[in-house]
Amino acid sequence: MPGHILKNYDDDLSALKDSVMEMGAGVLKGMELAIKGLVNGDREQCYDVIDFDEVTDAQEKKIDEQGMSILLRFNPVASDLRQVLSAINICRSLERIGDHAVNIAKRSRKIIKAGLIEEVRLIDPLYLETEKIVSASLTAYSDVDEKAGLAAIEMDRQVDKIHKSLSKTLSHKIADTNEDTESLLNVIFIARSLERIGDLAANIAEDVVFITSAEDIRHS
Amino acid sequence: MSDTLPILDSADAPHIATNETIINIDDLSFSYDLGKTNTLRNISLEIPKGKVTAFIGPSGCGKSTLLRCLNRMNDLVDTAKVTTGKINILGQDINASDVDAIELRKHVGMVFQKYNPFPKSIYENVAYGLRVQGIKNKSILDQAVEESLQKSALWSEVKDRLNDSALGLSGGQQQRLCIARTIAVKPQIVLMDEPCSALDPIATARIEELIAELQQEFTIVIVTHNMQQATRVSDRTAFFYLGELIEYADTQVIFGNPSKKQTEDYVSGRFG
Repeated sequence: MPGHILKNYDDDLSALKDSVMEMGAGVLKGMELAIKGLVNGDREQCYDVIDFDEVTDAQEKKIDEQGMSILLRFNPVASDLRQVLSAINICRSLERIGDHAVNIAKRSRKIIKAGLIEEVRLIDPLYLETEKIVSASLTAYSDVDEKAGLAAIEMDRQVDKIHKSLSKTLSHKIADTNEDTESLLNVIFIARSLERIGDLAANIAEDVVFITSAEDIRHS
Repeated sequence: MSDTLPILDSADAPHIATNETIINIDDLSFSYDLGKTNTLRNISLEIPKGKVTAFIGPSGCGKSTLLRCLNRMNDLVDTAKVTTGKINILGQDINASDVDAIELRKHVGMVFQKYNPFPKSIYENVAYGLRVQGIKNKSILDQAVEESLQKSALWSEVKDRLNDSALGLSGGQQQRLCIARTIAVKPQIVLMDEPCSALDPIATARIEELIAELQQEFTIVIVTHNMQQATRVSDRTAFFYLGELIEYADTQVIFGNPSKKQTEDYVSGRFG
């Protein structure tokens, strides 16, 4: 597609996308640090994730400002309008992913404080699948790739499947033993956060489909 | 002509939006130089009754030319000629030899880019078309003038100075007066050629509000360079480029998700 007559318009749209990608990279890193902190028993890493939330919140505000500025100055239509609306939507999803990363970090801190339990290793497959869908959604957004977006949405099924199985396993463990109940519950909550992150990543992928095809496939 | 293009009495028969086509343009090509070059090429579109249809496109794309074809304003250009195709309005080929252009314009009124009231009183401006039609009865004229000024949202501003010169009105008021003058003869179709381009934002907003109200009674075709205006006032939008109709669809589609790349490039400001 050729550039706009107003070069500023292209520059601002490009900067908006860059901001979303930067925010995406930040929340992905936050997720990784939170899980590494848990698995390695590193409370410092957990604190870093909690502190980083301020950055994520500031990025969300910045993207809102950039989007509003483009709406005000350039009156975007068609795919440009969808791009701006989606950027604002996506940053909302990313902010919530960031919040879940913080929740994971806080729960991890509690687990570490109480003494690491071997069940934290059970989180790994769920985390890997969740990380995969977030990365896939952001890549689809970066590449403006509808097919990749649809593929990312499908990946959420696998996240849900692993989460369901893990929740069942952890519930049985709680039922079978009186030890480490609080930590096991915290692992269940961490799994729940990862599952929600998968949903939010799927929402991002839905926005990618909206940008490319103008189809609103939410709730379908 | 009168038999096939009956004047609709708007007071008795409100012009309700339907799916009915009021203007049918079929494979129209038009030339300003006796057919050597076609300014419009093979245009086909159906304009629905009771809706607002916007023509958009870059300068020189032919949108104003097409608008002027709809009430044969181009007859005033000696070398202008419809080279192929037809324009049917209410089922009548308006370029047929037995159709009188003056009669056609009673049914298809026009509002121009630059407001152009006559150097007469406000009252006489609105009554002009009716007087040309031979109406002399003062009470009929009074009623028509008031009704037209009401519909053009000007009555409350001018009712106490109807005999003042129209040229003393503000630009926005003069344009609304021109709209009142156009609708006084109760056309079925009102053509508007960039009616707000010479107006400030407040006067523009009043004209846009007026278009929404007039839509209840008239079919409106508007040429505009202001795409935000097209999105606000029109139901359907036609995009023209280099004398061709590129895309014609609901306005929401043209500005939300056009099917043609050229349309998307134009409406999103990638060329102009």
